[in-house]
Amino acid sequence: MTAIGSAARFAPVRLLGRIHPSYAALLVLLIAIAFLTPNFLSPLGVMAFLRRGASLAIVSVGQLFVLSMGGFDLSVGSLITLAVMGSALMINNDPALTWHAIALVYLMGIGSGLFLGLVVSYLKVPSIIASLGALLSIKGVALAWSGGSPQGYLPDNFRQFGRVTYHDVPIIQVLPMSVVVLAVFVAICAWLFHGTTFGRLALIVGDNPRAADLAGVRVRLVRIVGFLVSAVSAVTAGILLGGFAGPAQDVGDGFELQAIAANVLGGTQLLGGRGSVAGVVAGSLTLTALFTVLNLIGLPKPLRDAVQGGILIAAVAYSVRRQGWEK
Amino acid sequence: MGAGLSMAEAAPRFEMRGIRRTFPGVVALDDVSFSCAAGEVHALCGENGAGKSTLIKVLGGVHQPDAGTILLDGKPVRLNHPLEARRHGISIIHQELSLLPERSVADNIYVGREPGRLGLLDRAAMRAGAETWLRRFGCRFGADAVAGSLSIAEQQVVEIAKALVFNARILVMDEPTAALDETETERLLALVRQLRAEGVAIVFISHRMRHLFAVADTITVLKDGKLVGTRPRGATSPEEIVRMMVGRELKDYYPARRARAPGAPVLTVAGGGNEWIEGIGFELYPGEIVAVAGLEGSGKAALGRAIFGAAPFSRGQMVVGGQAVRPNTPLDAIRLGIGYVSDDRKAEGLALRQSVLENALLAMRGIAAIFSRPGRTAPRGRGIDQLLREVDVRAAGYDQQIRLLSGGNQQKTVLARWLALAPRILVCAEPTRGIDVAAKAAIYRLLRAYADSGKAVLTITSDLPEAIGIADRLLVMHEGRLAGELPAGATEEDVVALAAGHQFEAAPA
Repeated sequence: MTAIGSAARFAPVRLLGRIHPSYAALLVLLIAIAFLTPNFLSPLGVMAFLRRGASLAIVSVGQLFVLSMGGFDLSVGSLITLAVMGSALMINNDPALTWHAIALVYLMGIGSGLFLGLVVSYLKVPSIIASLGALLSIKGVALAWSGGSPQGYLPDNFRQFGRVTYHDVPIIQVLPMSVVVLAVFVAICAWLFHGTTFGRLALIVGDNPRAADLAGVRVRLVRIVGFLVSAVSAVTAGILLGGFAGPAQDVGDGFELQAIAANVLGGTQLLGGRGSVAGVVAGSLTLTALFTVLNLIGLPKPLRDAVQGGILIAAVAYSVRRQGWEK
Repeated sequence: MGAGLSMAEAAPRFEMRGIRRTFPGVVALDDVSFSCAAGEVHALCGENGAGKSTLIKVLGGVHQPDAGTILLDGKPVRLNHPLEARRHGISIIHQELSLLPERSVADNIYVGREPGRLGLLDRAAMRAGAETWLRRFGCRFGADAVAGSLSIAEQQVVEIAKALVFNARILVMDEPTAALDETETERLLALVRQLRAEGVAIVFISHRMRHLFAVADTITVLKDGKLVGTRPRGATSPEEIVRMMVGRELKDYYPARRARAPGAPVLTVAGGGNEWIEGIGFELYPGEIVAVAGLEGSGKAALGRAIFGAAPFSRGQMVVGGQAVRPNTPLDAIRLGIGYVSDDRKAEGLALRQSVLENALLAMRGIAAIFSRPGRTAPRGRGIDQLLREVDVRAAGYDQQIRLLSGGNQQKTVLARWLALAPRILVCAEPTRGIDVAAKAAIYRLLRAYADSGKAVLTITSDLPEAIGIADRLLVMHEGRLAGELPAGATEEDVVALAAGHQFEAAPA
């Protein structure tokens, strides 16, 4: 009898605890943006927001695959830079070369992901170190290739992914191509993570790789696939960013940390074992909304970085506390 | 012994009266009284969830009672924090030891109490002090040994020394013999008797009747948060204690054996060896349970791992179902129809933050195609839910995180994981380690039923009565080799003699 009484008393509190604060934060930030920019609540405003957030959402969802296995992929920022700079140099404003270049940067991404996955699984190098090394190497390659300054041009048929918006679409009026890319990528990842054996194994490997191994799970294969998804997400985000912003040698800087922050906000467990694609998408949009607000109120870039660092620490601290409460 | 008893008649060192403690939704302790005198060993037993650990946490200042009083040497005290309990001389040695694995024995013994001189560590004093303790306990390792390199038994001695440096007058030992083999257990029990003679009040928690009866002066049984009774050792029996714990007669604790039809062996090992074991040769037949016994370090654990491919054989032959095989990974072994229950459930068996369901499905997931739809039906068409019900896993729901379940229910989940694949050989290392009596009986029934269905079960166990009770045959290991084979009905003395390396005429058939 006492059991029923106290359970009823605690239920509302527990329910409040279940709702991830990221969603509440996102809502507050979106209301703030709506106040600061009058036409934000139109389809145009929403689509523009999604287009701005698309690349971060894509890398964040990719990062989920590595984080949920208990790893980190810090190489994604420089992989984005490599994808943008490499495409610009290879295409050099010749639209006929666009598709070849895209195929080649995806190959580079797959190579990088495969390499990281193999190093982490077979040489047992902690992924945070291996991917930090990869960050430096890839960035070095990108800079050496371009001679240290933005070079080459991206033709319109490359930039369309980040730039083009379809008009006269029913109901939503406008549809940026980057939002289509985002939707397709997220759908594929949601299937991989929530609809396949691989997704379940990713969480188990993140929770206890030894137990997984002793139950016959191909732990190395699972880890390699995780790094591949992350690398492919970085190249995809790079292609969107190249179209959005054009070639620049700092285009991917900081994306690795933003992606991790988006994951923490979205309820991914650092060191593995828990996470969801929907949560991460919400987390990344929260971060994008936050940047938008900070931008709108006129905070300079260095201060925005400082605020972002603070948010990351606060979010991790909160998620650790939250785990404590659940015990 | 005589001194211990006469001292036990004095005022108790600590007395807990009418302790009640509730948590949201549960009454963990209800009017429990428990006391222990100086120079007394008071055993505390009960199934998992009976309230033992809550009672210990109240004594240790981790939880505060909702009602009831705690008296130390006759004076009421409030223990609001573990540090206060420690200041009162109460020391608790948990099942999961808390030593710093990279530090020396001396550092560990004096951690938090380092002797200093002029603000510097007095290492010489620490080492000398530590050596004194180690000599008193008859240890074979020195104060400079790195804690992580010691065996569990040795680490426990360090924990005890650490407690005594803190002037512990009340020592609580939670399942101290759970991970020890027979010789180590004997040594630990001797140390407990020595501490008793020195006037320490000792609370001894254990599931193993034999160890309880070897050392306890008094035995108290808890069930469902209530006190069932307190008995002097001389006035009770293991049967009565088990009955008090379970609340009913435990009939057929070890399930009956059934005569099996002779057939071809499902597993043959000849001359098998690797880094840890050598010259292993035996056969395993469908329908039988074979237990592997031996001391810690005898290679019995390594044998299980070798068959399962986790630490494969590098020499010799292994034949499964008539075909020569060499499983080099667990996945190889699983594909050959071999399952393996690890002796370290938390570190090697479970993904603790995942659901009961995912843990039960793990072996099926392992052999499934990686991008397949994650199903929950076993290959033979039985749903995993049904299987979990059959092995009687009790959880609020199979979506519940498995870390919230009792050890017995966790172990049943691990068994269900393998039963789902129906391997022809099931290797179980310490299948009942750290689980309560009723769950043990259930596991024995499950293993017997599995063998009766025509599969072979190889159990590796440090629990001698269990090995003898459950097995159709016993293999005994000594120093990495098979020392001999014993039929069902062998006595503990037979097994111990073989395990200790005495030679016998009878050679394995």
